[in-house]
Amino acid sequence: CVNRFNYRSTHHLSTNGFYEFLNWFDERAWYPLGRIVGGTVYPGLMVTAGLIHYLLNLVHLSVHIRDVCVFLAPVFSGLTVMSTFLLTRELWSRAAGLLSACFMAVVPGYISRSVAGSFDNEAVAIFALQFTFFLWVKAVKTGSVFWTVGCCLSYFYMVSAWGGYVFIINLIPLHVFVLLLMRRFSKRVYIAYSTFYVIGLILSMQIPFVGFQPIRTSEHMAAAGVFVLVQIYSFLQALRERLTRQERQTVFSVALCAAAPLLCVCVVYLNCIGWIAPWSGRFYSLWDTGYAKVHIPIIASVSEHQPTTWVSFFFDLHVLVCTFPAGLWFCIRNISDERVFVVLYAVSAVYFAGVMVRLMLTLTPVVCVLSAVAFSSVFERYLSDDPPAEDDRKNSGSVYEKAGKVRKHVGVCEEGLGSNIKSLVSVLLLLLLLMFTVHCTWVTSNAYSSPSVVLASYNHDGSRNILDDFREAYSWLRLNTGPHTRIMSWWDYGYQIAGMANRTTLVDNNTWNNSHIALVGKAMASNESAAYDIMRLLGVDYVLIVFGGVIGYVGDDINKFLWMVRIAEGEHPGDVRERDFLSPQGEFRVDRSASPALLHSLLYKMSYYRFGEVQLDFRAPPGFDRTRNAEIGNKDVRLEQLEEAFSSEHWLVRIYRVKDPQNRLERNTHTHTHTPSSRKATRRKRGFIKNKLVLKKGRRVNRKQKRTGLD
Amino acid sequence: MWSAGAVSLVLISCLFCASVRADGLVNEDVKRTLDLSTHLGKITAEIQLGNHGASRVHSFTLALEPELAPHLAFIGASVKGEEEEDESLELKEKTIPGQSGKFFEAQLPSSLAPGAKLRVKVETVFSHVLKPFPTQITQAERQLVVFQGNHYLFSPYPTRSQTTRVRLASKTVETYTKLGNPTKSDEAIEYGPFKDVPPFSQDAMKIHYENNTPFLTISSITRTIEVSHWGNIAVEETVDLRHTGAYLKGPFSRYDYQRQSDSGISSVKSFKTILPASAQDVYYRDEIGNISTSHLQVLDDSVEVEIRPRFPLFGGWKTHYMIGYNLPSYEYLYNLGDQYALKMRLVDHVYDDQVIDQLTVKLILPEGARNIHMDTPYPITRSQDELHYTYLDTFGRPVLVATKNNLVEQHIQDVVVHYNFNKILMLQEPLLVVGAFYILFFTVIIYVRLDFSITKDPAAEVRMKVASITEQVLTLVNKRLGLYRHMDEVVNRYKQSRDTGALNSGRKTLEAEHRTLTNDITALQARLKAEGSDLAEKVGEIQKLDGQLKDLVSRSCQEAERLVAGKVKKDAYIDSDKTLTGKRQELVSRIDSLLDAL
Repeated sequence: CVNRFNYRSTHHLSTNGFYEFLNWFDERAWYPLGRIVGGTVYPGLMVTAGLIHYLLNLVHLSVHIRDVCVFLAPVFSGLTVMSTFLLTRELWSRAAGLLSACFMAVVPGYISRSVAGSFDNEAVAIFALQFTFFLWVKAVKTGSVFWTVGCCLSYFYMVSAWGGYVFIINLIPLHVFVLLLMRRFSKRVYIAYSTFYVIGLILSMQIPFVGFQPIRTSEHMAAAGVFVLVQIYSFLQALRERLTRQERQTVFSVALCAAAPLLCVCVVYLNCIGWIAPWSGRFYSLWDTGYAKVHIPIIASVSEHQPTTWVSFFFDLHVLVCTFPAGLWFCIRNISDERVFVVLYAVSAVYFAGVMVRLMLTLTPVVCVLSAVAFSSVFERYLSDDPPAEDDRKNSGSVYEKAGKVRKHVGVCEEGLGSNIKSLVSVLLLLLLLMFTVHCTWVTSNAYSSPSVVLASYNHDGSRNILDDFREAYSWLRLNTGPHTRIMSWWDYGYQIAGMANRTTLVDNNTWNNSHIALVGKAMASNESAAYDIMRLLGVDYVLIVFGGVIGYVGDDINKFLWMVRIAEGEHPGDVRERDFLSPQGEFRVDRSASPALLHSLLYKMSYYRFGEVQLDFRAPPGFDRTRNAEIGNKDVRLEQLEEAFSSEHWLVRIYRVKDPQNRLERNTHTHTHTPSSRKATRRKRGFIKNKLVLKKGRRVNRKQKRTGLD
Repeated sequence: MWSAGAVSLVLISCLFCASVRADGLVNEDVKRTLDLSTHLGKITAEIQLGNHGASRVHSFTLALEPELAPHLAFIGASVKGEEEEDESLELKEKTIPGQSGKFFEAQLPSSLAPGAKLRVKVETVFSHVLKPFPTQITQAERQLVVFQGNHYLFSPYPTRSQTTRVRLASKTVETYTKLGNPTKSDEAIEYGPFKDVPPFSQDAMKIHYENNTPFLTISSITRTIEVSHWGNIAVEETVDLRHTGAYLKGPFSRYDYQRQSDSGISSVKSFKTILPASAQDVYYRDEIGNISTSHLQVLDDSVEVEIRPRFPLFGGWKTHYMIGYNLPSYEYLYNLGDQYALKMRLVDHVYDDQVIDQLTVKLILPEGARNIHMDTPYPITRSQDELHYTYLDTFGRPVLVATKNNLVEQHIQDVVVHYNFNKILMLQEPLLVVGAFYILFFTVIIYVRLDFSITKDPAAEVRMKVASITEQVLTLVNKRLGLYRHMDEVVNRYKQSRDTGALNSGRKTLEAEHRTLTNDITALQARLKAEGSDLAEKVGEIQKLDGQLKDLVSRSCQEAERLVAGKVKKDAYIDSDKTLTGKRQELVSRIDSLLDAL
């Protein structure tokens, strides 16, 4: 997972220094290409951890860098909670702020990224996001350059930490633009936005990975456009104060007619000549959920990039997802400059969270803020003290002495709600909150507290079995292969192999080179001799695959096989065709009716090598795959160019050694040939996995395979 | 010079030879046992020494064959006493010119008279003398090893009679040398007896047999012992382990390994490590985290850890792990005033019949330990001392570093480290923390109490001033309202007691206090006005309302007087009192709302 890579880079940073880190060329990844790590990562996380480590060691608190990395996320989640409080306080009231901080502290949608050991960009980025928003709201409210510069610095930190900074650089201009439309534009907003755009732009360009993107990509053009608009608007405002009505009208119309088309033409022209990069495919996939599936299968293949289901909204936010529209409504009813911002934030975040599971993370903070607003408003109304009775006030002298404090809510309760209704509503709301905490605790302990690299299963008597196969295999690689061994595996395991096994990989979770990945996918999908050629070409020594058939692990390579095929097909449409790997009914199945191409593919052979002899259960035939609930179709798997080097205890990880040419048998001259396919067959047809994936209890489906690139 | 040196050397060596030969010792009866049932070569020889010379003998020489000598891990000699009491002898290495091999001189506790006899037991352990042959086997094959040694006892003395008994690991023996028609029983081969063997005689013995015992070797181990005077000794061992048997050839099949019991018979699945009985908080991990395949058993006299590497070890495979635990220091640390002595095992048990190729011991003593002196049970190479920094260390803890190669179980012995340590130094670290917090809080105090702003903000100042004035107004107004209530009480009391004097005095005090308070408030109002605050108007309004309120109070007072004087009827009084109270309440609530607004 990504943590491994981040830890590895942080370790590199803390041992070799910052400049060495920026220049780091990792020859262990993407063999034979290598990867320039310093220029292709957001260094915020590593620098933060490295800095904390450095400072602690400076005062002789000799903490290991690993411990710093492990506890960074929880520490930063504390900071996030505080900045959520500040943001909500600015938006609504102190009480709401406190409530939102409480929500933020326990909400599962954020806990998933802030548990100890989750050493991920998001761990620090959400703090930076919230803090930037707080400072922005403050800047808009005060119109002071001080707060704006603070906002820029916080934005700079965000840029250095996470690709999600694009969200900020689009949301803030949107806010300004909407304020402009609502005729709420003022000097304060002008000062805040102009300062923010200029300083933020310059600062963001200091990150090597971002570089000139802020002025050359379409994603950042909205901010620039709003900046220009704001300048023009202010200029016209200034003119208005000096000119007469007649002059004004002519100037306005001329300016509008001239400037707007000119600007449009400029941008379009720059776009056409390619100076401004067009929208990236990843960006399109945010608007069209089907786009990635067709054009960039590598993005669609990640479970975190799937559209969010209703269940996961409820799972991650529980009652907050129901109450936050109420908070939104409260904000709209009592609208002000900064509440416009939170409304826009909420609406856009809801949209993005609906598109991708991962972006739930940006929705979570605003949901906490708005739910807190809703709860706090309702509580203010229903939980306040009864208005002090008249005689009470007259008799007790103390009432007068604390006059200012006690009678605050007198005015609110003038409508005279019955005390029964009051207590009923309050108790109901408190019950909701109680259920929310129970849910949060349950989700945290069940779904987010177990490491993804160690699986656990429970016996009938409740005792726990730990399946530590991944680390078993990785440590075997680390200790019993040569230091420069090259290992081929699907990209999901790239970072893990690099981090835990310390060996060279061909592809990894930073999926920057699609064709390289496609080549690996092609090798996996080809028959053994064709695959052998590819592997010799790539200099592969070992092949690592994950096979869950013995224990019923659903996230294994066979289940990912169709994605491998699709990605390979994207680059090598002549050699690999998805249709060939599906049964005549168009299903993806591994049993007797599986397609011959699948039965002879390298991945199938490696997964089921000698599996045909295994009888796991007396009721099931030998070679019964527990993940797919099927008896495998090819029980007599023979490997000629490969030999089994290691299989972990539960067969979860299988490693094969690629034999040297002189040792292997005479190669079959039969290479990968395709049965001529009919017109109908060439039509793109999606396959599906025969048995739906089911979540095994106490086990996490691989939910964290992502790239560090954007987002 | 040179020739003189050479001559003297020759002379000395001649003398030496003469001394060896001339002491007239003879090995009367020798019983050798070669224990080859593990991966070590353990050779024990029970020798009956006889002094056939003319003079008393104070020492004797032990010899090792040149082929075996480099593999020597341990040698020990003891004298068999009458009552089975062994007395170990001190050995000193020496050379014998003209003879290759290794030689040790053993000092006898009491000299051996001419004609007397003595039983000596010599124990030697050799590592890496069993060579796997073939050097590579597949998973299904069994491991065969070859031992090459000597049929005879290698000794500088003539031997009268000797027998050699070889213990093997299994019944399967491929070949063995057949000097003197040895008899082979189940797992043993008996050679001899051989009669009258001359000194330094060698005859190659070669046994090729099956040995599936774990051929584990610790290629390196670093043992770190960190002493804390707060009551804890932390021990951590970093172990590099290697299977030094026959290499695994071809594939490793998990299926065969799981289904067939004799598949991979020479592989190592797990082993037991014995830790001290007081060991606590044991951990077992490697670079990528906790190794979940281990079991801990606490016994009466020890703690047993069943260590299972992440994967079974086949020939040539390596593993690497760390094991660590804490010990209470009172069991190992002794002191007399400022003098301390730490008595710990230099190397501890890792597995039975262990072989350690390289040992590094790091002893971390508390910061400020001086006059460090180390007593080792056997010679060990000391490296340069290092400094170790951990939490809150300022000048570093001294680290003693020692290394030694080729160790076996017999080397598990205690080392004693003496040092001086001033107990006051223990307070250093807590004081550091206290000091740091003191400085932190002090800075905060300074920062909060003093004004560090470089510009004056008049608006903020005015705001603060207004706030303080408003605060004062609030208290004063409240006090004034309190006065009225007090007056009510006075009036009530008057109604009962009809004491006009009390009423008048009460009224007087009310008037006086009311005046001062009203004046104060007016003054504050003026100040507010001066600050330009619009609150002044509100205060003015309060003053106006208060005037009305005051009137009402005095009216109620007058009403009461009239009631007492009998000028009004009781009913009429109650009525008027009610209206008055109603008006007053209205006024009070208006004042309150104004106060709230302030």
